[in-house]
Amino acid sequence: MRSETSARVGGVRRWITWPGRLSYRSRLAWAGFFFVLPALIHLAIFKFYPLVEALLLSFYRYDLISPPVFNGLGNYYALWNNPLFHQSFWVSVKYMFGVSIPEWFLALGLALLLNRAMPGRPVIRLAYFFPIAMSQIVVAMVWKFMYHPYGLVNTILDFLGVGRINWLSTEETALPALIAIGIWRGIPLFGVIYLAGLQAIPKDYHEAAMMDGAGAFQRFIHITIPLLLPTILFVMVISLLSAVKVFLNPLVMTEGGPNGTTRVLPYFIYETGFAYFRMGEAAAASMVLFVFVFGLTLVLLRLLRRGGVQ
Amino acid sequence: MNKKTLMRWGGWTVTVLTVLGLGVMLLPYFWMVSSSLKTGAEVFELPIRWIPGKPQWENYPAALSRGAFGTYFWNSGVVSVAVTAANILFCSLAGYGLAKFRFSMRELSFRFILSTLMLPLEIVLVPTFIVVQQLGMVNTLAGLIVPLAVDAFGIFLMRQFIKDLPDSLIEAARLDGCSEFGIFWRIILPNCKPALGALALLEFRDSWDQFLWPYIVAASDSIKTFPLGLAQMEGIDSAAYHEIMAVAVVGMIPMAILFLFFQRAFVRGIALSGLKE
Repeated sequence: MRSETSARVGGVRRWITWPGRLSYRSRLAWAGFFFVLPALIHLAIFKFYPLVEALLLSFYRYDLISPPVFNGLGNYYALWNNPLFHQSFWVSVKYMFGVSIPEWFLALGLALLLNRAMPGRPVIRLAYFFPIAMSQIVVAMVWKFMYHPYGLVNTILDFLGVGRINWLSTEETALPALIAIGIWRGIPLFGVIYLAGLQAIPKDYHEAAMMDGAGAFQRFIHITIPLLLPTILFVMVISLLSAVKVFLNPLVMTEGGPNGTTRVLPYFIYETGFAYFRMGEAAAASMVLFVFVFGLTLVLLRLLRRGGVQ
Repeated sequence: MNKKTLMRWGGWTVTVLTVLGLGVMLLPYFWMVSSSLKTGAEVFELPIRWIPGKPQWENYPAALSRGAFGTYFWNSGVVSVAVTAANILFCSLAGYGLAKFRFSMRELSFRFILSTLMLPLEIVLVPTFIVVQQLGMVNTLAGLIVPLAVDAFGIFLMRQFIKDLPDSLIEAARLDGCSEFGIFWRIILPNCKPALGALALLEFRDSWDQFLWPYIVAASDSIKTFPLGLAQMEGIDSAAYHEIMAVAVVGMIPMAILFLFFQRAFVRGIALSGLKE
């Protein structure tokens, strides 16, 4: 019996047999493997190896020029004693939840709105989804302009009697200003995902419930939410993971300031590595970020499982 | 209030919300285009001038001459097309292998691929740079392209799509004596067009958008991409808002055109990314 397993278990001899002499099934197995191989090699070089390298590097002192010097846990110790790192970590946490929690609700609201029958719906949908195509850099430039002391945001606020605020240069407002952009940018994106989820709910469910006299709110709670749960949990995971990666806005809008209040972890890593050339310390900070993201993903995936998603 | 008035009020609320929401989503873009056609003095003028008195078209050539924007656009185009093409090829190959073949390492390979989704560039920034440095690709276009050539999400997307294609298609071709790669090239790829289109748009957008990686790898002006060029110009001429907005408008045009033409594929791609698993 020459099955795929015998080709594998059969030892070294089997590995060097020519493809022409392999059984049909093991030839197919090899074909499948070769289809996946280029991607595996790429990811091994550009994802897996860098992760291992980051772990190793985090125990060394390295400035890209002179050879690395072993430093034991010195880099982690330095981070632990670096108040800027602590600040960065909490800025990242605030940004993540500050952006993603409002997104969960507002994007769902948008999807519900766009799922209703209304005149001109295709055009309205198009207009709402258009911002998804816009580049981050364009968004950053526009909002830097909008947040200018004499920009549109302040002009409107002044008109409403609130007064002018120097959003990006004030410690209390810089992070909320960036969070607002993150939310604004995420709503249409997650709205599309929610909308696809809503459209997958069979119409008869709602019709049957209506026949039984269920109101719109009851139908929302008892039909829409349970059936949408996998999508909701998916959006929760993806929005958190994408918020933790933010880098461009703090870089070009605030340079991590004022006073470090917008220095998110990726910015801290970039600065430590590529501005101060402390690669080992940057790698150690990367490992902390990785463990944090990994842990968070595990928790959320467990939630996903409990939510009935395979 | 009876039910009918309540319904009518509900309808009005929804309309007002829809319009208000649209305003909030699109106003910044409108303001960007409008400001790009103003003079420097008009930009912060009060009361607000929503539409410039006399459109200053000459802002555009003036702004674009503030940097080597021709080069930046060309580089962005080359990098985005190359990254998109590489992803389409490698992700569909791997997706096909994972969806339609049985081999002993398949589940392990799939898990390995999915687990790399937790390793965005932001996390493995320093070591990826060191790898690219060892390959001698720092400050080259190849250095901007190669590390982004395979995206685990694309593999996942293609696998999900190919899984639903009927096996009989593949078996019939095999009986006809088609080679395994021939089956992939002539049977699988043509049947994946919707997924490939969605994947292409997502990858193109992501790579057109990419900032952090080129920011670190591209040192000389001849390698820089558009986002870097715009950020650099803003850093130098930070007060010339009308001109910065002009460059931003130009930078928005390629994606806007792609979006308007392939709106359905675009939205489907993002919706596909919400495929639950």
